[in-house]
Amino acid sequence: MKPAFKLDAHPRRPRPLLSNPPTDYFDKLPTRIMARLPRADERAAPATWGWLAFLSPALRTGLASVAVLGGFAASFYLSGPGPLRPAPAGTAALDAVPRTELANYLLTSGTRVETSDLATLAAAHPNMANGFLRVSDEELSAALDAQPTDDPAYL
Amino acid sequence: MVAPIKRRAYFALQPPLSPPRRTTSRLEDHEILLQFQNPASRNLAFNQLVRKYQSKVYWHVRKMVVDHDDADDLTQDVFVKVWKHLDNFRQDAQLFTWIYRIATNECLNFLGSKRRNFLLPLNDVGAELAAKMEADPVIASDEIELKLQRAILRLPDKQRLVFNLRYYDEMPYEQMAEVTGTSVGALKASYHHAVKKVEQYVTRTTDD
Repeated sequence: MKPAFKLDAHPRRPRPLLSNPPTDYFDKLPTRIMARLPRADERAAPATWGWLAFLSPALRTGLASVAVLGGFAASFYLSGPGPLRPAPAGTAALDAVPRTELANYLLTSGTRVETSDLATLAAAHPNMANGFLRVSDEELSAALDAQPTDDPAYL
Repeated sequence: MVAPIKRRAYFALQPPLSPPRRTTSRLEDHEILLQFQNPASRNLAFNQLVRKYQSKVYWHVRKMVVDHDDADDLTQDVFVKVWKHLDNFRQDAQLFTWIYRIATNECLNFLGSKRRNFLLPLNDVGAELAAKMEADPVIASDEIELKLQRAILRLPDKQRLVFNLRYYDEMPYEQMAEVTGTSVGALKASYHHAVKKVEQYVTRTTDD
């Protein structure tokens, strides 16, 4: 029968029988460690974000995700609802011209206003005729439909 | 007949594993901490701290990772972490216990990441450590010591850590509890099981 090995009977050593490190290892180690230390300014820098080190990795990941999503939401919110159909530049510029001047121009310059011009203008400003045409939308549509046109684009 | 020395007293009286190379008196922990608070003497105080504890930290790590180069890297990492967090050290624990705890966590993280990185089964890291141990010319000449080390390396990392702290360092269980964050009862049970496993392995692998 094999004799049972007993740890208490084995000569105790302060550490396993491993080869020692190089002779001057412990003389040089402090210098090598000191060379690896972050400088004083690097120690001060993380103070602002130092509290992050106390959070668990999962919490830090969650916080980063919230920050990214919040950034997207904020940029989307701050960009505001853009105009779905911006007014054409030409029409917008005409808005600044007083109505009397426009009427004088049209009466004296001999410029012929086409049906398509009126249609474009009415499309850009659907309620512009309300101030001087006292008709309902149905009456207006009926009157316009009754007008003969030779423009093939509208046939 | 020489009266047996109690474990606790033996630990307290035990000389440093590596004798001090400098004859200048070493600072006490509280003096080191006091000087560390002063920016003008911070580096000097930390240098003293490293010189005071480097040997113990190195051998604590070396017992866990076996290889000198790995132990060298980890020892440096430990002291860099100590530097970063020494401002937050609460003096309700001993400084060395706190440093030992950092070193322990570094070792366990290192061994854990080694397993994860290489997708090796549990025993393969143990086999790798055993191969490094057997390649060491000092231990290769002592057959029973080699078997003992093989048996110790077969223990799970945390149990091996408990074994090393108790068997080699003869650290009191209360101090081990501070280092490992485990209860004294659990540590006693863990050490007891570790000793049984080691004895059974060495007995099994020893020829008649």
